[in-house]
Amino acid sequence: MENLFITQTDFSSLMRKLNEKSPLYAPRRKGDFLFYERVRSDSLDDIALGEIRPIQSLKSFLIPPQETVSQYFASPSFSNKEEKIILGAKSCDLESLKILDSVYSDGDFKDPFYIEARKNIILISSDCTVPAKTCFCVLLNVSPYPKEGFDLNLSPIKGGFIVEIWSDKGKSIVEGSKELFREPEEGQIEERDKNRANLVNRVKEINRDFDFEESFREIIKDSLDSPAWEEVAEPCVDCAGCNHICPTCRCFLLFDKKGKKGFERIRLWDGCLYTGFARVAAGANPRSKLSQRFANRLLCKFDFFPENMGLDACTGCGRCISVCIGKIDMREAVKKVRTKSLSDS
Amino acid sequence: MENPYQPIKTKIQEVTRETPNIKTFVLEPEEPLHFKAGQFIQLTVPELGEAPFTPSSSPYEKEKIKVTIMETGTVTSALHSLTPGGVVGIRGPYGKEYSLSDFEDKEILIVGGGVGLAPLRSLFFALVHDIEKYKRVLFCYGAKTPSDIVYKNAVLQDWHKINPERIHFRITVDEGDENWKGKVGLVTYTLDNLNEEIESIEESVAVVCGPPIMMKFVTMKLLDIGYKWNNIFLSMEKNMSCGIGKCGHCQMGKFLVCRDGPVFTYDKIKDFPTIWD
Repeated sequence: MENLFITQTDFSSLMRKLNEKSPLYAPRRKGDFLFYERVRSDSLDDIALGEIRPIQSLKSFLIPPQETVSQYFASPSFSNKEEKIILGAKSCDLESLKILDSVYSDGDFKDPFYIEARKNIILISSDCTVPAKTCFCVLLNVSPYPKEGFDLNLSPIKGGFIVEIWSDKGKSIVEGSKELFREPEEGQIEERDKNRANLVNRVKEINRDFDFEESFREIIKDSLDSPAWEEVAEPCVDCAGCNHICPTCRCFLLFDKKGKKGFERIRLWDGCLYTGFARVAAGANPRSKLSQRFANRLLCKFDFFPENMGLDACTGCGRCISVCIGKIDMREAVKKVRTKSLSDS
Repeated sequence: MENPYQPIKTKIQEVTRETPNIKTFVLEPEEPLHFKAGQFIQLTVPELGEAPFTPSSSPYEKEKIKVTIMETGTVTSALHSLTPGGVVGIRGPYGKEYSLSDFEDKEILIVGGGVGLAPLRSLFFALVHDIEKYKRVLFCYGAKTPSDIVYKNAVLQDWHKINPERIHFRITVDEGDENWKGKVGLVTYTLDNLNEEIESIEESVAVVCGPPIMMKFVTMKLLDIGYKWNNIFLSMEKNMSCGIGKCGHCQMGKFLVCRDGPVFTYDKIKDFPTIWD
């Protein structure tokens, strides 16, 4: 992959130029967390390109929390999605797009709303610089710095960024502003690589208690009947916060309501932790117990989804840990399931 | 690109009351919608929502689709209040059809309970269409009372005349009334002495559709009798919403019922603990 260097000042110029055509979204710090916000090119100073993933995942840009998908018997236009430039997405979130793509863009039926939105995002990702205690990408073999799936990637170094190009879109951005990029100077690539090596070590260190011999997939597979789930799910209040904040939880509800012209059909984010998620009209509910729903969510991520698509439906972003009001840590949950199965065998 | 969430405007042509809580709707979509026996559709009641149904008409009937609906929830209650001329929406077909080529030269046992007869009627018509391909059909059906029998005239008389040599019937009700002269007992009783009708249980295929509890006991009995796991075809009616394998509501283990079903052979789902819930 081609490596270039851009100074902080030239990067701002590049953003100003790109922003003439398309809106920019970037992480900004608010209290303890980072949030994606629409930023103007004259207020780029306080955006946070390093650090960790923002609270919202890329899902928010591609499958909005609610979207009208049918109006009476006609289709709302899906071909007029505006191009958006998203700055500062992290490796875990780029990885999540593989999962969303496999659901929404592949298979016998394709989701035109997703596909159009996906086509119209420009991803200028960046390396994490300060992993959080909740980060566990390395446990799932996801790199803490982007390796693929971006248009351009930025690795912060002294005075600017090392820029990597991964896609044709990225290439044309660089070609359109050649004068802003230069060949890296001696030591700059080494500086980036050293940062990355430190980063990997730090995330590994954070997760030293969870670096099991077996993969999460191996531990969770066939764990449906594990008595550990009751204990693990005990503090859960089925708020479905983990569902909504998860970059790969992708379930939705089709909700019809009265619209301006006849009915309107809305696609709303939904969560498998909610009591009625799987309930049928006559009242039968295959997952009426909270522990069943809790187990099902992790089984979906580490057993059912891999079985269908060959991918874990988890990228180790740790948002579910941050959001949980019951303070449930997915890694601890996996650990308990593992301990139980070891003690039973 | 097509929008998979957008229903086709559909006119209700005719409504027939089958039982106190079941009606059959004859639907005429503005654009033709061709399904195969076993596949399902989503019906929209404008402004209210959708519910999944397996059509009960012959898949060879191209212009119209019949759907037989029991009043159970919000959407089905609203459907029951609609009359001919009313407008609904339809999407589909979705899911996998019955693999009829696997049924060829075989003895086919059909077991239906209550409104579970609806999809079986569609299958029945598909079998009748090419009846010479199949060795024999034994159609077993149970309803709560005589007045709960769906397609009563067909089930009790008309179908018996179609091909008396190859197609036989065993009909029962849980509770008879003063006019009922047929058998009384749960639908599982129709499976007694099955060898009088089915020569080779080992080779025979069984298609079961009905309330979960009925499917459970019928399946247990079929296994006892000697049916093979992979010869028992079960209709899994889960909470299908999008119909296209995306929304996740009908997920059952590694399967999405809308995409991988709704019909499964027992061997595929037997180890999943909540299939009957």
